[in-house]
Amino acid sequence: MMSILSDTARADVWAGAMRRFSQDKLSCGVTKEDLRAAVDALDTFLSDNATAVNSAIPQPARSSLSVTQKALLLMYVIDRRYLDGA
Amino acid sequence: MTTRAVFSPLAAEFPAANFPAPTLINRRPALAFDAATNETCQWSCVAPQGLTGTLTALIYYIMASATSGDTDWDVSLEAVTDGDAVDLDAGDSFATVNSTDNTTVPATAGYLDVVSVTLTNADSIAAGDYFRLRLTRDAASDTGAGDAYVLAVELRDGA
Repeated sequence: MMSILSDTARADVWAGAMRRFSQDKLSCGVTKEDLRAAVDALDTFLSDNATAVNSAIPQPARSSLSVTQKALLLMYVIDRRYLDGA
Repeated sequence: MTTRAVFSPLAAEFPAANFPAPTLINRRPALAFDAATNETCQWSCVAPQGLTGTLTALIYYIMASATSGDTDWDVSLEAVTDGDAVDLDAGDSFATVNSTDNTTVPATAGYLDVVSVTLTNADSIAAGDYFRLRLTRDAASDTGAGDAYVLAVELRDGA
């Protein structure tokens, strides 16, 4: 099972998200603590469900692609679904 | 209260690390204070004649994205009088920090808010002193997500 990110890595994600929100002027109605809790929860969810996400990829891609390649696929799908034009 | 100095983002001075990024917000000069790291900048000035009473620093800022939470600000002064035994070439002599904490940010990002910090610790500043005003966003303690853009800092006295 994939382990969760370190506290430092989670803090980097959290800080990066806040900088992106600022840069893109994305209104943010939650506090820093709320945002950090969201980062932690998403990381924990991905850790807990890494096997299920991997299983959702059909063969032969699941076995042939590297972890990096599959992570990029997931990132591109999320980007297209939720960030396209953002 | 009398305005004794107004400091522009364009006149800010920066330490070697952890300083706010100079930027333009809608073509307005601003200093972007990060939400995750305490950042600091300073302004140098000469205390104007007539300066008297308790000083107050007013921080004019907008939030980049936050519409909830608060900001914490620290202001400190370093005042040097002619002949003082302070080696300006070798170090600082800032007085104890003055703070205003837990100021709720405006409910709309981009709306101006002005935070007042009473400078109880003013390093015995007097007219004619060479002084520096140091501003820090205490991002480690406040709760507003995203950058705070400082547009100006005003120094008032008790006259």
